[in-house]
Amino acid sequence: MLEQLLIFTRGGLLLWTWQELANSLKRSLVNVLIRSWLLEERAGDSCFQYADAAVAAAYTLKWRFHNQLGLVFVAVYQKLLHLLYVDELLENVMREFCLVYSPRQTNFPDFDDTFRQLLKEAEANSKRKGVAQQNPRKGLEGKRHVMRFEGKGVKSAGKESNEKTSSGGDDEADGEADSKGKTFRNGDGGKNANGSHLSGSSSYNDDNDSLMSRNSHETAFDVSRLQLRNSKGHGKKGTTPLDAQNSSSKEDVGKKKAKKNRVWGDAPPPSKLDFTQPRYEAVQGEPNVAVVADQGLSLMDKDEEDEDDFQVDLEEYNFTAKGDDEKKVPTKMGWLSSLVQSVAGKAALEKVDLEPGLKVLRDQLMTKNVAADVAAKLCDSIAASLLGKKQGSFTRISSTVQAAMEGALLRILTPKCSVDILHDIHQAKEQGRPYVIVFVGVNGVGKSTNLAKVAYWLVQHDVSVMMAACDTFRSGAVEQLRTHARRLQIPIFDKGYEKDPAMVAKEAIHEALRSKQDVLLVDTAGRMQDNEPLMRALSKLINMNEPDMVLFVGEALVGNNGVDQLTKFNQKLADLSTTANLRLIDGILLTKFDTIDDKVGAALSMVYVSGVPVMFVGCGQTYTDLKKLNVKSLVKSLLV
Amino acid sequence: MAADAEEEQVLLVSSLRQWDSWKQLQREEVALFSTFAVLFVTMVFFYVGKVLKRKVSNTILLVGLSDAGKTTLFYQLRDGSAHQGSVTSMEPNDDEFILHSESTKKVKIKPVHIVDVPGHARLRPKLDDFLPKTCGLVFVVDALDFMPHLRSAAEYLYEVLTKTVVARKKIPVLLACNKMDKITAHSTDFIRKQLEKEINKLRLTRSAISSADVTSEISLGVEGEPFKFSQCVNQVSTAEMSALNGQVEEVERFIREQVKP
Repeated sequence: MLEQLLIFTRGGLLLWTWQELANSLKRSLVNVLIRSWLLEERAGDSCFQYADAAVAAAYTLKWRFHNQLGLVFVAVYQKLLHLLYVDELLENVMREFCLVYSPRQTNFPDFDDTFRQLLKEAEANSKRKGVAQQNPRKGLEGKRHVMRFEGKGVKSAGKESNEKTSSGGDDEADGEADSKGKTFRNGDGGKNANGSHLSGSSSYNDDNDSLMSRNSHETAFDVSRLQLRNSKGHGKKGTTPLDAQNSSSKEDVGKKKAKKNRVWGDAPPPSKLDFTQPRYEAVQGEPNVAVVADQGLSLMDKDEEDEDDFQVDLEEYNFTAKGDDEKKVPTKMGWLSSLVQSVAGKAALEKVDLEPGLKVLRDQLMTKNVAADVAAKLCDSIAASLLGKKQGSFTRISSTVQAAMEGALLRILTPKCSVDILHDIHQAKEQGRPYVIVFVGVNGVGKSTNLAKVAYWLVQHDVSVMMAACDTFRSGAVEQLRTHARRLQIPIFDKGYEKDPAMVAKEAIHEALRSKQDVLLVDTAGRMQDNEPLMRALSKLINMNEPDMVLFVGEALVGNNGVDQLTKFNQKLADLSTTANLRLIDGILLTKFDTIDDKVGAALSMVYVSGVPVMFVGCGQTYTDLKKLNVKSLVKSLLV
Repeated sequence: MAADAEEEQVLLVSSLRQWDSWKQLQREEVALFSTFAVLFVTMVFFYVGKVLKRKVSNTILLVGLSDAGKTTLFYQLRDGSAHQGSVTSMEPNDDEFILHSESTKKVKIKPVHIVDVPGHARLRPKLDDFLPKTCGLVFVVDALDFMPHLRSAAEYLYEVLTKTVVARKKIPVLLACNKMDKITAHSTDFIRKQLEKEINKLRLTRSAISSADVTSEISLGVEGEPFKFSQCVNQVSTAEMSALNGQVEEVERFIREQVKP
């Protein structure tokens, strides 16, 4: 049963609400939807699932935009009930409401009756469809149908019925549509009918799982899974992987001890291989390591010139559609008709109109190294926000699309919360504890190098820094950090190799607390996102030590894999977190920015997928090559 | 005599012809000149109009964090009621109207242009679109749920106060503490002092780094002294209100002060 339906303007005023039960209006739910989904440019997705652990209730939210009038229609229902009539109901409500709506009116008392009627119709239709097709199509085929329905059928039904609202259509997703002569929707209608039946049948618990997994694959990072993890049911699950990992680490250590030195030729094997000095070191002068006096201002502190507004000329790109595109695309219009159209202003924007411009932008983004599915999702979200909008006169579609894309990119790249680390450090200092930053990432992205750069920048701002060498795996990692520490003249805490990184970090924090350091920078070993035991070890380090910031270090050269890295890191941290506070990645450090000329898309993919801002950008290998992300210049390089 | 008459006739004709052609030329020239004159006059009018308009702006901005009550305040000022409530705004609410409380007056009042800028962090850049034409700014603060958001509120207020436009045009700012009808709401004085403390901390850390957007070029307050709102170049005042209950008189007074009727 539908729990709630809300209609509000894009400016935030609630115009009309309907509640099934008389409990309190779930306005906080809608706010969560807006803040975490729609404003994150995920408006192109089909639905949003929210689990409230406190109330132990899970909801699904579906929405529709009416872009011309600037209205949003949101339907809320329990997640367990797969209500199929919600989409067509939303379409009908949208159609009926727009007939009643006028801009200054804020009260719609008569709409209650209209809505009740529509709801009854929609429920009756779905029941009828459920009864009509009794053929049980279970098994693999059934699952495939269901997947297609949830993923694409919903969207296609929505979009097609959007086009048909003006013709005053009846049930759009009706399987018996051929009687009305609308033959082209038969294929989809058939699929939808089958899909709807399946979810209504008794075997829908299996389909439920596939739907869940489908939904989680739909979104890059499913927020609902996050909140589910908080509930008690998963608390127990969290302890067992830790035990397994502890025993496995013991085995590993045992195995390594049994390893024998390799004998090369006749030379006697060297007696001592481990040259680390296992004790806490203060600054020790080695004659051949030069202390870095002052290499000048870090690029973080230098202003970047703001560039003027720019205009992308989409006319350069060819707007003709490919031959296999069945939609009508106006390839060449006579100049007179195009002139007339540009003066008179086109009617409401349709998908066919937006398609060429969006395709061009999508290709443009992909050539700039934005991950493929991120570009696709962005274009979907922009299409959702432009459909049905009436263009003013003298505007081309390309300029509308481009302006929308610019706005969307600016919104995504603007950080949600402040990136002022110095302020946080001062706050932690007031509380008398060190500010702990942990650098995580896959192999070879530049964690240790950029850690040294961050340390240099902090030292320049009169912050006392200490390094912790928790990369106890890679040969030379401890020496590398030790060299940096000597050059920067800051203390370093290390315990040599083959120690448990989590314990080393813990002891480092104690040491930093004791010697009253302001900041502790923790270096970890690089690990692939698919490596289960290593990810567990990382999760253990973070949970045990509760750092103030978990910085994900990613290189700007990465392509689609960057999205995978971030999602898997976040997922593993969420899954294996045992404490009540869910610790996820708090910031991104983008490295090797000087190696990409203008293919800056990796920044966009990472920010879109994780929702966290880019804190630093590494653009070279010297200490001063660390800067802040300039959002405007990034957007410019993406769209030019 | 006849010859003279003929000569005269010829002379007359030729002079007439000359005059004709000259008139024609003049006509063309006149046409040209008149076109230019019209264009020039139109341009002068536009320019003068712009210059005059610039001096009288009637835009008031409502800014603040998400959930502070800006949209509710907007609708209170416009319609006198908060209607059915509001959700997080995704777009600015922009309208020009006469304040609802003054709509009963018979005197002709100048309408006020009020813009409610969304508080969500991702939509902050929209503020820059409206700032150039502003004559007053109302910073709405949630007095009920104040301490958890103190830091973000202080950062936003700091950002606003250090924008070049605000400092150059000395735009007056009203710190409106909303939700004062609740018992557990903090007092205006407390809020003001807390914000001053936080901004003081911020300006010490921010003066060390410059943001990549180059918007904050002004340093606030006096060096060496703790920050106080009275040290700002623009006037910062405080007020109490409850947007949901319609107690917005102090805000209306501020608006009327800025937009001369």
